[in-house]
Amino acid sequence: MKRRTIITGAAGLAAASFAGLPARADDAFGPKELIDAADKEGGLTYYTANFAETEQEVIKAFNKRFPKIKVAMVRAPGGQLITRIKTEAAAGKLAADVINHSDRGLMLELADLFQDYTPPNAADYRPDALVSPKLWPGVTLGWAIAYNTQLVKNAPKTWMDLLKPEYKDKQIGQVVGPSGGTTWTRIMFERQVLGEDYWKKQAALGIALYPSGAPTSDALVRGEISIAPLLYNIIYTKIVEGAPAETVFAPEGVPIIPYADGIPKTSKSPNAAKLFMNWRLSKEGQAFQIEKLGNITSMKEPPAFPKGWDPKAVKVWVPKFDEFEKLRAAWLEDWNKTYGYRQ
Amino acid sequence: MTATNAAALPVADSVERPTRGWATPLWVGALLIILAFLVIYPLAMLFFGALSDSNPVVDGFGAFRPSIARFLEVLGNENVHLAFFNALLACGGGTALAVLIGLFFSWIVVRTDTPGRRFIAGASMVPLFVPPLVAGVAWSILGSPKTGLLNIALKWLGIDFRFDFYSMSGLILVFGIYYAPYVYMFTSSALRNMDPSLEEASEVAGASAFTTLFTVTFPLIAPAILAGMLLSFVVMLGIYGVPAALGAPANINVLTTYIFKLTAWSPPLYNTAAAVAILLMVVTAIMVWAQQKVLSGKSFATVAGKAFRPRSLNLGSWRWFTFALALVYLFIVVVLPTIALVIAAFRKFLFFKDFDAVFDTKAYSLVHFNAVFDNPLTMLSIWNTLKVGVITALVGGALAFAIGYTVNRTHVPGRKLIDLLATVPVAIPGLVVGVAYLWAWIGLPGGLYGTIWILALAFVARFMPDTVKALSTSFLQIHRELEEAAWICGRGLLGTIGTIVLPLARPGVVASMTLLFVLAIRELGSSLFLYTSDTTVMAVLLLDYYEGGNTGKTAAFSLVQTVILAVLLGLTNWLSRGSAQGSARVG
Repeated sequence: MKRRTIITGAAGLAAASFAGLPARADDAFGPKELIDAADKEGGLTYYTANFAETEQEVIKAFNKRFPKIKVAMVRAPGGQLITRIKTEAAAGKLAADVINHSDRGLMLELADLFQDYTPPNAADYRPDALVSPKLWPGVTLGWAIAYNTQLVKNAPKTWMDLLKPEYKDKQIGQVVGPSGGTTWTRIMFERQVLGEDYWKKQAALGIALYPSGAPTSDALVRGEISIAPLLYNIIYTKIVEGAPAETVFAPEGVPIIPYADGIPKTSKSPNAAKLFMNWRLSKEGQAFQIEKLGNITSMKEPPAFPKGWDPKAVKVWVPKFDEFEKLRAAWLEDWNKTYGYRQ
Repeated sequence: MTATNAAALPVADSVERPTRGWATPLWVGALLIILAFLVIYPLAMLFFGALSDSNPVVDGFGAFRPSIARFLEVLGNENVHLAFFNALLACGGGTALAVLIGLFFSWIVVRTDTPGRRFIAGASMVPLFVPPLVAGVAWSILGSPKTGLLNIALKWLGIDFRFDFYSMSGLILVFGIYYAPYVYMFTSSALRNMDPSLEEASEVAGASAFTTLFTVTFPLIAPAILAGMLLSFVVMLGIYGVPAALGAPANINVLTTYIFKLTAWSPPLYNTAAAVAILLMVVTAIMVWAQQKVLSGKSFATVAGKAFRPRSLNLGSWRWFTFALALVYLFIVVVLPTIALVIAAFRKFLFFKDFDAVFDTKAYSLVHFNAVFDNPLTMLSIWNTLKVGVITALVGGALAFAIGYTVNRTHVPGRKLIDLLATVPVAIPGLVVGVAYLWAWIGLPGGLYGTIWILALAFVARFMPDTVKALSTSFLQIHRELEEAAWICGRGLLGTIGTIVLPLARPGVVASMTLLFVLAIRELGSSLFLYTSDTTVMAVLLLDYYEGGNTGKTAAFSLVQTVILAVLLGLTNWLSRGSAQGSARVG
């Protein structure tokens, strides 16, 4: 009895140390010196283009492991965040210690602002998810097909299903092509993988267009539209909360968007910044984002899979970065014309 | 008797106020320096942006290669034409409706014996507290052609008619009902301050009440009507939230949504956005010029040194008709959107299979409120917003009074330039002005960037036209004979302002400071670039919720914001009424 108590107590202690205290000499997050130095700095400023609510959850989870490091967040939509970073940096007032951005092309242009950084588990990452050795995919998002379960009787299962005449007359909603890097990845996938005439056939059905992913997911839940290609993380948390929606990962491929995150050279809390990056890129950090937030990962061996993801059937599709940059302007113009979107 | 005849009132330019030799240039110089910092410098940055493809802070002024071709390219773009045309149509229609509603209400409240006037007066100002984004969201919940609550109710009632607020007419309607309080604010104080002897003269001369209304009353308060009209038009031109929520689903772009798109795209096209913003400024400049042209050469002094009580028209049994109309308006503008927001805030998801689903109590919970208050940024943003609001109202109110007085009550050289500079910011959409302020002020020594003050200064600059215009109406109505009496009694300029102008213009001063407070609390566009993690404000957090696609949290936070505003405004109203009564007793 006594022994049992001791064992239970020890297990409890171990659990407590995992949940609340820094993992000593845990290589997954960095050496003890880094953790001590980060604790001493006590905080960092985090610039993100991702959704504020999602990133709040990331910060909370990070603080469960490293409670002494306070993370202050600045969130702005992608284009606006870039303008702000450029201007602040030029004026010598860049306040960010870590920057998280979805547009790898725009971040690559700013690569000089960032310091050298490599996470402890660098070898676990797909090389095609990196655009610079300084920038790492702390966040990776993927496209799924979402539908309203109350409105759709015959749910689509593949990307090609979204060309079926039964879904005509604005039952399908879509984010407009020029909205940013994430959508550009999806429409590039559609044209390169699903066929040159995919856009034309789909546009002929009559598509409701939305400026970004969030209002599209809201419209889907409300029933304004019945079906929409959506970034899985936008709809995932709603489904968990009980929204009348469901998703499928299509067998033709899941276009993914690896973010480009880095630590500016001017960071005032470089150790806390490194630890935050290390944790987000660690197996634990990535598994948390997949299981709780509906992210995907750029790790070669994913530590977890989203619900409904069959690793044998689902293929991940990453755009070739040179094409991602080169084709963008001309193809977006084609897309705008095909879908009748006024730019 | 018409407004033109009112010009026959003595305009006493002959009595010059006491001024000291050095004081005038010093005063004008100080105002011009402040305006240069708040307006000209950021504006220069905006022109820099519009005429080049570089960022002045990043690339330096050396990289400025002005090219009119870029600007012309924007002007030639047919999408810009369409957005421009849509904006004129939506704002023009909205303004017409706002004038109709605002004028009607000020007349009901001030000049008739309609029952419940004070209640109507208070409630008809409610739309002013509602951030445009919230109004847009509320009306999309109500009036979406597919899932709108109104349409679900119609279906349940077996009526075939369906509302479609995702349309130009929907946009005009929502603009009209939400910006009517601007017209109301101006016209009601003008009606209240109007000497009724002119109307009595008209009726003695045999004119009917109706004729008097249109030939004497309304023409006499023309400056107030025009000021309200101009302000509501240009404010609508600069609104993003309503057309974003209602226009976007129907692919209707106006200039602001087009500009927002340009700044939100990746890569962002700020320089193009700046060029489109200059187009907006031209339209506003024309409006202001037209207003001054119409008003020039006429006197609208209706407050003279004679005691009077505003007349109250006895409507007989018609007063119940006006009362009913007021209730219908309040139902449409206050009750319906509030119901929509309350449903959205308390309901887990906004999907309604049918009308009965609205009453399914299991679907309601506090989940969105819990999430909002669980977010550490919520309390921080509320506190920051209040600080910014108070600073903006005090600094902006004082500056607007100084400018308004100088422009309207003095003949100092340079006052026209001051007036022009104080009017310019109204034309610049918030998003673009935010970037201009960022470019202009980030490099200044002294650490302004990253503080609450940079936000407050941006709001002071951005809303200066609204405040100055609101105050100018009060100044225009105070007859010079009152000031002259003070000078003759030996009062100096400051003494005259302190004992005559300020007390008489107090309702206007309090109203404009309150307006400034409300506008500052709602302002999103310019905050977006100037806030930092420590100085985040409510409007930025609200956009975060909206952009996060969560109507429930957006609605819950909107309700929180609305309650805070209502409490504060109630408090301000109570305080100002208390002080007014106190000074009346002393007087």
